[in-house]
Amino acid sequence: MNRAITNFDQKILDSIHKYSLELLSDTGIRFPSEKALGIFREHDFRTDGEMVFFQEKDIQTALDTVPSVFTIKARNPEKDIRIGGDSYMMAPGYGPPFIIEPSGEKRNALLDDVHKFCKLVQTSKYLDFNSSIVVQPTEVPQETAHLDILLATLLMTDKPIMGSSSSEIAARDSLKLAEMVWDNTDEPVMISLVDSLSPLQYAAEMVDSLMVFAKAGQPLIVHSSCSLGSTGPITIAGSLVISNATTLAGICLAQLINPGTPIVYGLGGSPTEMKTGGYVNASPEDAKHTAIVTALGRYYNIPCRSQGALTESFCLDYQAGMESAMMLTTAALSGANLSLHACGTYGSMLGMSYEKFIADEDLCGAVKKLMQPVEFTDDAFAMDMIKELGTSGNYLMEMHTLKRCRSEFFIPDLNIRTIHNKWLEMEPRDNVERAANILVKRFAEYEKPEIDPDIEKRLVQYVNQRKGM
Amino acid sequence: MAVKDIAEAVVVMDRVKVVELVKTEIAAGTEIDEILNAGLIDAMDIVGQKFSDGSLFVPEMLMAAKAMKAGLEELKPHLSAGAAVSRGTVIIGTVKGDLHDIGKNLVALMMEGAGMDVVDLGVDIDAEKFVKAAIEHNAGVVALSALLTTTMPTMETIVAAIKEAGIAVKTIIGGAPVTAAFADQIGADGFSADAPGAVELTRKLLAA
Repeated sequence: MNRAITNFDQKILDSIHKYSLELLSDTGIRFPSEKALGIFREHDFRTDGEMVFFQEKDIQTALDTVPSVFTIKARNPEKDIRIGGDSYMMAPGYGPPFIIEPSGEKRNALLDDVHKFCKLVQTSKYLDFNSSIVVQPTEVPQETAHLDILLATLLMTDKPIMGSSSSEIAARDSLKLAEMVWDNTDEPVMISLVDSLSPLQYAAEMVDSLMVFAKAGQPLIVHSSCSLGSTGPITIAGSLVISNATTLAGICLAQLINPGTPIVYGLGGSPTEMKTGGYVNASPEDAKHTAIVTALGRYYNIPCRSQGALTESFCLDYQAGMESAMMLTTAALSGANLSLHACGTYGSMLGMSYEKFIADEDLCGAVKKLMQPVEFTDDAFAMDMIKELGTSGNYLMEMHTLKRCRSEFFIPDLNIRTIHNKWLEMEPRDNVERAANILVKRFAEYEKPEIDPDIEKRLVQYVNQRKGM
Repeated sequence: MAVKDIAEAVVVMDRVKVVELVKTEIAAGTEIDEILNAGLIDAMDIVGQKFSDGSLFVPEMLMAAKAMKAGLEELKPHLSAGAAVSRGTVIIGTVKGDLHDIGKNLVALMMEGAGMDVVDLGVDIDAEKFVKAAIEHNAGVVALSALLTTTMPTMETIVAAIKEAGIAVKTIIGGAPVTAAFADQIGADGFSADAPGAVELTRKLLAA
């Protein structure tokens, strides 16, 4: 694997850890959940109201039980994903309530959009697993929207799923549905995102769903973010300490509930736009932050999450490409194991775009190719052929070239590689229109993956029953 | 023209100098209203303008507001009762079911910076609390914030409750998922896509 941005001084990582422990023991982390506070008290943690204080040994004990690698089962066993080590898994956007149209218009996302994105994930060459909120459908009752999304994801794709962590009930629904699909849910069959609030606290809903998933032994992405300069210090160093302390506290709770619960470690740090106070994801600072966070993941020997192909732009322009490439490439090369938002988002994750999804897939494919180690086998050196052809050779005519011509290089689907005249004559030439054509093909070629009709019936029944239908 | 120096000191965020200059002007017998208007209030208009055109950054704008407030504290004992030192009162909060407060906090700070009295109710606030606070503080504007799409319907409930209470207060809404169309739909008096816009909108509503 190419992991270029990994050269962090051990002493820097030691300082981040040391200062995080200092915050954990002196300032504490807020857990506004009676159940969580009960667990901490049971284990003799010092608490004061909703604040919980951690000692170094508590954190170390928790870290010792976190597995460094684990596998999430897909509905199709060929699509299981291994998280940790050198692996790098990608999922599409997570959470946008809007669709940004090619015209630039913003519209509310609908359940039909969830279905369409499920089709795109299923037919994607590069995406490894589903998001649990690829978009937030706005026309369905919000209390049961997670059920609509989970059902669509389970029926329309056979790639691994994310559980819904929007509430304790949503977490329980995720597990119930999984139990109908997999015989054995003692092993990981989903992964769920638990985000903290910054600084130094969790929302009650997140803590409660963390507890449900941990009890079931289902993997969690425990993630804390700061907006540099508004919800955390303006410096990366200071924000890392706040986010790291918060994430370590969340990991500790999961391990107290169920030692060995698989965890993906994550910290986010995005600049505050100082001219407006807004939130900026795609930036060199966020990319640098990612590089250090992945180093911390290795420091703790825990798989690590990073941001994906993020941009502040609202259209498929140079800015969107430049920012998305910078963010995703940095994540990949610095050693992240998992990226959400790898495809489709605009405007700091506010909106999903179908055309950006297609463009991002080329980026995901290119990044995955970049990460593949260069082959140095005898066949790759091809010394016999080189000697034989000498100075007069035409390698295009060789069997060695023929055998590898479809696999050796990355082949983009949207990006062009043509000569100027052909490009001038291309119809359509515009990349948004070309993406639209690819989308038509993708939707046409989509086939619903096979599922046992009894299982499908039970899933639909459960969802309908829960929705009071 | 030392009163103008006060305004300049506010713009360059020099709190100590603002206090010192205000004290000097008071001692020299300058009209209190002149110090207030030509010194402090004018300064915040300059600051507001510079912020709007992007030449002043958020922390700088907030620091300038702090300098202005320090000057105002010096003036307060000399102001006649009922003198208008505030542009009006704003009740602000994140609506019931939503715990996101970064945007709301920023808007509250900027409104304070613009010389408004701001009552920040916090997060997860229901209709009853908004109505009660609006009456208690004789507010001119109630500002509702939400980040989650799930809590947008709560905004509608709150706007309706405020109307039902029959109090003369304007409602404005903001937050990532909120749109102008949604504001119209629920009968709110205004919407802003960002914090500076919210301050400008409130300024207009309070002046109306």
